Amino acid sequence: MFNFFLLILIYTGIYALMALGQNVITGYGGMLSLTQAGFFAIGSYATAILATRLGWSFWATLPVAAILSAFFGLLIGLPTLRLKGDYLAIATLGFGEIVRNVLNNWDSLTNGPMGIQKIPMITVFGFVVNPYTKYAFLAMLFIAVFIAYLLFQRLARSRMGRALTAVREDEIAAQSMGINITKYKVYAFILGASVAGVAGSFQAAFTLSVSPGTYTFMVSVMVLCMVVLGGMGNFKASILGAFIIQLISYLPQLTGLTAIIPPQFKQILFGLILVIMMIWRPQGLLGRERIKYSKGGTR
Amino acid sequence: MGIAEFFQHLMNGLTLGGIYALIALGYTMVYGILKFINFAHGDVLMAGAFIGLFVFDWLRGSAPLGAWTIIAFFLAMVVSMAVSALLGMFIERVAYKPLRTATRLAPLLSAIGVSFILSNGAAWAFGTRSRKFNYPFDNTPITIAQVVITPHQILILAVSLVMMIALKLFVDRTRMGKAMRATSLDQPTAMLMGVNVNKVISMTFAIGSALAAVGGILIALDFKVYASMGTMTGLKAFVAAVVGGIGNISGAMFGGILLGVLETFGVAIFGIPTGLKDTIAFGVLILILLIRPEGLLGKVEKEKV
Amino acid sequence: MKKSLFVLLAVLVVFAFPAVAQGGKESASPKIGFIGPMTGDNANYGVLSNNSAMLAVEQFNARGGIDGKIPVVLVTEDSEGVAEKGLSAIEKLSSSDKIVGLVGPVFTGVSFAVGERVQNEGIVMLSPSATHADITNIGDYVFRTVVSDGLQGEVAGTYFANVLGYKTIGVLYAKNDYSQGLYEGMSASFVANGGTITIAESFNVGDKDFKTQLTKIRSANPQAIYIPNYTAEMAQILEQASQLGMRIPFLSCDGFSNPDIYNLAGDFTDGVIYVGPAKVKESPSFAKFVADYTSKYGVGPDSFATNAFDGTNILLAAMDKVYKATGKFDRKAVRDEVAATKDYAGVSGTINFAENGDLIAYQGLYKVNKITPEYLGTFTVVDGQLVQID
Repeated sequence: MFNFFLLILIYTGIYALMALGQNVITGYGGMLSLTQAGFFAIGSYATAILATRLGWSFWATLPVAAILSAFFGLLIGLPTLRLKGDYLAIATLGFGEIVRNVLNNWDSLTNGPMGIQKIPMITVFGFVVNPYTKYAFLAMLFIAVFIAYLLFQRLARSRMGRALTAVREDEIAAQSMGINITKYKVYAFILGASVAGVAGSFQAAFTLSVSPGTYTFMVSVMVLCMVVLGGMGNFKASILGAFIIQLISYLPQLTGLTAIIPPQFKQILFGLILVIMMIWRPQGLLGRERIKYSKGGTR
Repeated sequence: MGIAEFFQHLMNGLTLGGIYALIALGYTMVYGILKFINFAHGDVLMAGAFIGLFVFDWLRGSAPLGAWTIIAFFLAMVVSMAVSALLGMFIERVAYKPLRTATRLAPLLSAIGVSFILSNGAAWAFGTRSRKFNYPFDNTPITIAQVVITPHQILILAVSLVMMIALKLFVDRTRMGKAMRATSLDQPTAMLMGVNVNKVISMTFAIGSALAAVGGILIALDFKVYASMGTMTGLKAFVAAVVGGIGNISGAMFGGILLGVLETFGVAIFGIPTGLKDTIAFGVLILILLIRPEGLLGKVEKEKV
Repeated sequence: MKKSLFVLLAVLVVFAFPAVAQGGKESASPKIGFIGPMTGDNANYGVLSNNSAMLAVEQFNARGGIDGKIPVVLVTEDSEGVAEKGLSAIEKLSSSDKIVGLVGPVFTGVSFAVGERVQNEGIVMLSPSATHADITNIGDYVFRTVVSDGLQGEVAGTYFANVLGYKTIGVLYAKNDYSQGLYEGMSASFVANGGTITIAESFNVGDKDFKTQLTKIRSANPQAIYIPNYTAEMAQILEQASQLGMRIPFLSCDGFSNPDIYNLAGDFTDGVIYVGPAKVKESPSFAKFVADYTSKYGVGPDSFATNAFDGTNILLAAMDKVYKATGKFDRKAVRDEVAATKDYAGVSGTINFAENGDLIAYQGLYKVNKITPEYLGTFTVVDGQLVQID
């Protein structure tokens, strides 16, 4: 059971990375994107393909995954960010589906529905990070989440964070204040995408195999829920949200009650939580983080 | 490619499009009035199909095809429409009404939640197996100059056309329709003008869900009944609604047919691998959104400061 | 705000409590696990096989259980057909339930991820339906009670070319691991035997409209169409082909052995020839299994469910032997006992495992007459040559 808890923490870490990215896009940028699964998949496949075909080490594939995801973020972001609200949600949802559809059909590159197996384990200075024993992997993931958190936290207090907040609150007013809204939106999108790509790399290194079935629309929805459940515009809350959603997802297994609880239960519970949460606490558990600008040191 | 094959592909595309159009009408109706994507629409459709199946099988017993099976089918459809309408109103009351003044994200997520509850609830209650919905009429294909079409396909096209016209007349000509348009335009003002907004919205969901039930049953004849039947079909229909111009009733019809034909022709004539059919649909969606975000037949809305 | 967090924590503690309480006492019953998709698009296949595992365990316990006194507990975990969930399932089974052996996973993709894990952990795994040729190459703890794509495809390809005498075949397959694996296996040996695949069309899992693909195949005019898919899709294909007025013979795979196909597709199944599990001659045990299964669950078992039943029983028998000899359930000893299985008389036939954990089996060929499959014979392929066993 303790081992299982460690596993939940690992999944929390992977999803927390995606949730941090989603928070930049949705929480700060106010853009309703439903495409983290697509970037997640791109990151996973980048690592899987480079590591198995070209024998690259995980650490070499990681930046490629991040840059490739960022590139696709730019590609999809530039044109679609002109769209508003629901339309953006649909366009990004469509992009996520296209990614999965292409991965499933581009057999020569991705091995199609068979997926890619035997991805080598991560090594750090000759020490193998065995995902089965979990501790080392968890520690590494923890560091990655922490770094991402610090970077994003800093970003939120920067000029860009303030610009995004302004854009989210009132686009037209922000524009008339001379803020280049498209630029900042695209930045946010690229950042969010690249961190999801990194999450994908870790996912591939943890499961040691990838197949297109993992990267469904459900993943994007779950990530969005994590951000909303925790509290939009609050990076700590995104991590908390990731933990809670993962905990709920694996609750029947964690408590050992899978024999009693019907398998559909967790999805039904998940649905109920969404509805109840939206009605009673739409601002999320922790709510939006108030940033004080009076302190010195941050520009 | 022979001329017969071309027309066969065209026919396949049209009837697939008819299915998309059938579902898209319900989506667009709700969006048109409330500016809200009802993600649970596809799952209401699934519920409608299950209800229709149970009622039809119960009424039919072991009767052979004939007048009685057609009557039983219509009765099953009416019952299913009524129950689905109630279900739609119930969902609106519980999951969407409290969120009317919230941000746009809130009802969207709430709808996704409802969708999970419905599809997984159905899987739990009715199992995961596909169930056959028997044709209530003789579905022997008809061949016209080497192009084959089934009575069922004609029915789907006919029903979506009739539904589109009826819906259009309802919204344009009736008192309730007028109230709906007023609500769509400006809720607070409509309320001040004496429109019972709650009733209008309830009614919108009732009609949308009844339409979904009709779609569900007609689709089930061809595609069977199963718990996850609403998900992908619903998504595609939604794409169709957006392509045609969401909120626009004739747009939904047009978008559905266009999407069906494009998917079919993309694969059959332009040689895109069949596995990439979904990519065509979503690619068209993104393209349309970029060129004309309001959809092909949609109206441009000016943003006010 | 703080309050809601506390409430949440309280709820979690309450939920976790029975688990802790449960974990506290050491239960005497040994556990075995089952992993398959119980929810999601392919849930039906997981449910059917899980039914078999439950039935096998129930009957085993009714006979007295291990050594006539210890009942076995089956723990089922949902994989949703996704590798990540499959991993969490095996994690839970191995660390919380301390299972002795595993039946499943049902799908190839999940089996790759879970297989690596059980190999690392030293838990014997018997998949009833992961057909991909490479699955058993993961290691010596991985077994399957299903024939690999390799053999089924080989028998199919050679039979279609040499016995049925087809020169051209069209294929309509799904973009999933099972269907594509069979298509690739069949086409390789069909081509090697002088045939040509005139056209191969695919579709995505969840698609229900195949008229476009069928129209294209019709224009390519092959002598027959091979449709290696799952039951619901095959029913759909057959019905739509008939709606398009196609009068081409259809060829299929072991997915066709699910009797549900006759409910879904009705008369359209007439004339289909399919490769399925070899039939045991006059097997009363198979008839009994089908009767027990159908009366308990209301639907008939497909061939994967039959395999799951055998797999579960082989595992139980191995555990029984190990316990009788040593008085405990050592995972390694159970694995060795499974590997040593010799001429096990299962409901799907006589079962032996090859060195790598593959099922040594023959393939049966069936031809459907209206809605009744008729047995054509038992075949295997030796050095590229089709050999009829009986």
